[in-house]
Amino acid sequence: MSCPRSGTILVGELEECAKKAARWLVERTPIRELRDWGISFSLWPVHLTTSCCGCEFAAASDPRFDFERFGFLPFVSPRQTNVLFVEGTLSKKMAEAAKIIYQQMPAPKFVVAMGACALDGGIFHNSYNIVKVHEILPVDVYIPGCPPRPEAVARAILMLQRRVRSGKYTWEGVPK
Amino acid sequence: MSLADRLRGLGKVEELKDGVVSIEVPPEDLKRVAEALLDLGFDHLVNVEGVDLPSEGKIGLIYHASSYEGEFLGKLIALKTKLDRSSPKVESLMDVWPNAIYMERETWELLGIEFEGHPELEHLLLPPWWSDIPPLRKEFKVKQEGYIVDLTR
Repeated sequence: MSCPRSGTILVGELEECAKKAARWLVERTPIRELRDWGISFSLWPVHLTTSCCGCEFAAASDPRFDFERFGFLPFVSPRQTNVLFVEGTLSKKMAEAAKIIYQQMPAPKFVVAMGACALDGGIFHNSYNIVKVHEILPVDVYIPGCPPRPEAVARAILMLQRRVRSGKYTWEGVPK
Repeated sequence: MSLADRLRGLGKVEELKDGVVSIEVPPEDLKRVAEALLDLGFDHLVNVEGVDLPSEGKIGLIYHASSYEGEFLGKLIALKTKLDRSSPKVESLMDVWPNAIYMERETWELLGIEFEGHPELEHLLLPPWWSDIPPLRKEFKVKQEGYIVDLTR
């Protein structure tokens, strides 16, 4: 307490060193693999039903198909989730909401575009009020179909898990 | 006395199929005829729609009203008018049928018909920054036209 300034400087350097050491340790193979394994079974989607594919998504979550087996549990608040399912047509007003929700989600975060409308506009390909998902968000997995079956959603989840486990994702929004 | 006979004095009456009666009036008579329909028992508005007719230089405006009780229970009536295409303006029918608020707002947004006396003519389905012409006008250009397959060949 007699020399607080030097004390803080010393602690600051220590913290920095400790952070560097921790990051180095986490990025090594065994711990990183463990972490990616953990993330791949903690994919929690936010409840954003933009269009009719939401029915299939709801069917995917119910007891018959039961996606909680994959560690896939829908949550309400964007701040507790890390997967954004764009379920079908994205109109211009809803695109604003989707973007705000994506910005609220903690990293690492993933986007899945579900259905023909989210891929390329579908039957609304020449509409005046539509936004394609890849124009506003970085999409990881696309699911074709109009609407896709719950099995197709399951396949997308498994593909996303494989992608996470192989380390092919970025920590967007996290300060280095 | 049938419905078409009762409406004979109000405008041009036409009987369509399935018992639907249409009545065409000039735009300045629209509110008066709507009040007459309300007195007859057509107590709720089903739909408001517009038709762009560039070859005539007009915009058609159609109010569909129906009845929940009384003599004309379940009958559908179409109240039609035609507005000038360059500046389509008509008095709002919100005083007659209050549920016209969202339908007139949508018609304003998609076809550009001004409803005088409407409290909030703001964008409903389109984003608030929309600056193009109303999208259901015929001169609105979509990004890519649809594919047409001619099956008669």
